[in-house]
Amino acid sequence: MFEVRFHGRGGQGAVMAAQALASAAFQEGNYAVAFPYFGAERRGAPVMAFTRVDKDKIFSKTLIYEPDYIVVLDDKLTGLVDVADGLKDDGMAIINSNAKPEDIELGKSVKCATVDATTVALETLGQPITNSAILGAFAKATGLVSIDSIVAGIMDIFGSRIGEKLAAKNANAAKVAYERTSVGTCKGTMTYEKGGKWLPDYKELPLGLATRPMKTPEGLVGPGSFVDNKTGSWKTFAPVHDPDKCIMCRMCWFYCPDGAIKEVGEGDAKTLEFHLEYCKGCGICANECPKDAIKMER
Amino acid sequence: MVKRVVTGNYAAAFAAMLARVDVIAAYPITPQTFIVEHLSEFVNDGLLDSAFMRCESEHSAMSACVAASATGVRTYTATASQGLALMHEVLFIAGSAHLPVVMPVVNRTVAGPIGIWAEHNDTMPQRDTGWMQVYVEDNQEVMDMTIQAFKIAEDKRVLLPIMVCLDAFILSHTVEPVDFPDQDKVDKFLPPYRPDHAVLDPKDPMIIGSFSPPEYIQEVRYQTDETMRNALEVVEEVNAEWAKEFGRDYGGLIEEYKTEGADAILITLGTVTSTARDIVDEYRAAGKKVGLVKLRFFRPYPTEAIRKVASKCKAIGVYDRAVSFSAGGPSWIEARNALYGYTIPVINVLAGLGGRDVTEPDIRLMFDKVLEAAEKGEAENEIVWIGTRGVKP
Ligand code: SF4
Ligand code: SF4
Repeated sequence: MFEVRFHGRGGQGAVMAAQALASAAFQEGNYAVAFPYFGAERRGAPVMAFTRVDKDKIFSKTLIYEPDYIVVLDDKLTGLVDVADGLKDDGMAIINSNAKPEDIELGKSVKCATVDATTVALETLGQPITNSAILGAFAKATGLVSIDSIVAGIMDIFGSRIGEKLAAKNANAAKVAYERTSVGTCKGTMTYEKGGKWLPDYKELPLGLATRPMKTPEGLVGPGSFVDNKTGSWKTFAPVHDPDKCIMCRMCWFYCPDGAIKEVGEGDAKTLEFHLEYCKGCGICANECPKDAIKMER
Repeated sequence: MVKRVVTGNYAAAFAAMLARVDVIAAYPITPQTFIVEHLSEFVNDGLLDSAFMRCESEHSAMSACVAASATGVRTYTATASQGLALMHEVLFIAGSAHLPVVMPVVNRTVAGPIGIWAEHNDTMPQRDTGWMQVYVEDNQEVMDMTIQAFKIAEDKRVLLPIMVCLDAFILSHTVEPVDFPDQDKVDKFLPPYRPDHAVLDPKDPMIIGSFSPPEYIQEVRYQTDETMRNALEVVEEVNAEWAKEFGRDYGGLIEEYKTEGADAILITLGTVTSTARDIVDEYRAAGKKVGLVKLRFFRPYPTEAIRKVASKCKAIGVYDRAVSFSAGGPSWIEARNALYGYTIPVINVLAGLGGRDVTEPDIRLMFDKVLEAAEKGEAENEIVWIGTRGVKP
């Protein structure tokens, strides 16, 4: 039995990666399960997915708390989330990063593989979606499944969702990443703070969860608590606004799901301000702008 | 105090007026229609200062009640049968958000086949929505319990919505004498609703009903469970206060009738209780040791009270006007659960489904079955269908 925990962000395809790994293992004659765990259902929010593989039927229906492997689709997560929490001492981390394994900090010194999956994805798919590339790194680093099985797993899972043509591109991303993976040992010098979640007992919990704004040791809760939630760390691309092209139609403001666009100034001096600490880089504003006044830049 | 001859529906409407409800949001459905019609007249005639919303469906009516109650005002609606079924998903929201909406439900059979007469298969399936349920026996109790319902629901230890369940036509459309409590006495008994746990106010924002991950919902469930249990005590207190102020004592969670020295006790709910009182008198006069327990509250369920009853008799019969297919009537299932570990026979008697009249011979047969079980110490048949063609009772 081996257990893998994937860390990604909503929209990065962690769930499909977990499923494709399960399919790959299954095609090698194993029993395999893959399942998601969604937090807030928002594009860009940290999400987890899991794969469990064994020779015999798997009965466990719980989440994975002590994984043998962790796979991190977005290296910016490692500073925010204790991705190595519970990772076995002889386990391994597979990380999307352009850094060498030796420069990765996980709060735990373990075997570590890195690959710049974002660049691989941009080259092979034209999009920064790293879920297929990272599986190539998994095959290379662990040797638990062959790259051929990974390709078959991607064709199976991605193929049924996005069609054979795009699946083949993703399979290619895995193959390229396979070749570019480096394996070493990561650093474990910093310590992640445990907890950080507001978990009141039933008596402290406001009745029926009807909540007024409250300061808790774990941060703000209730209306307005978004102030604490700096979704700006989620982005790969940031909007760049061109006031000369802008006609102040406010379509971008209307559609921005994170309220990151603000109107400033008076009269003719009116313009827009993009609050990058909250902008999660979804690109919706650029897509909606009728004047092409917003460009998304990495 | 004025005595008038009125229907159960009129009593339910008048009680809401006496309770000075702030918002009424409803949709008409037979046999409840008159409740909201009367209320719309009271509002129109200037007798009641209340926002009256006629919604386009019961789903909307309950949604409006949830929203109104969440602004911290006293809220009322009424429904029946399919109407209650249509409200189903919104009932959970009122329950989990602790919004003390009061709602008479005129118990009517749920289609199909479509019918308009009394059956409890509308309210029984709602037992897990976080609503209290009280079943009443006559029009006086409709009046008195509707007023008490506000007091129980709004108690800070409870804060849960409540259904006052009355049988279709047998109460809703039947006139009988009812004492009308004085407004000033009701005002003293029932002060204005002033909540602080759930009040939507733009000046003091709060979130009600937010998206909640698994880290929170189980505690919310426990809160509902605990407050529902707290209601057991509050029901008794409110009943005692009502008895003191208005002179009518309903016994609280259950009412016992001639249970002292009874070998065979029948537990009823709703209007069958009334006819059963006559049969108890008749059997007692003939030397047969029978007694009656009127189950008033189905939620919260009075487990302790039912256990006390069981420890003083030899057999129990539980009457149901609804059936959980293949498992028995819901009230019987609950009683058997409460009586786990007791060795006396506890049988189920089913009658009056779809509004079929439950006659005196039917009720005699119920008592005979329980007496027989008391004598033998066991029952030949645990679930007895009474008055069903082709089925031996
Ligand atoms: S990319 Fe644009 S739409 Fe998306 S969060 Fe940032 S500002 Fe808002
Ligand atoms: S949508 Fe484009 S043109 Fe309109 S306000 Fe935004 S940036 Fe300006």
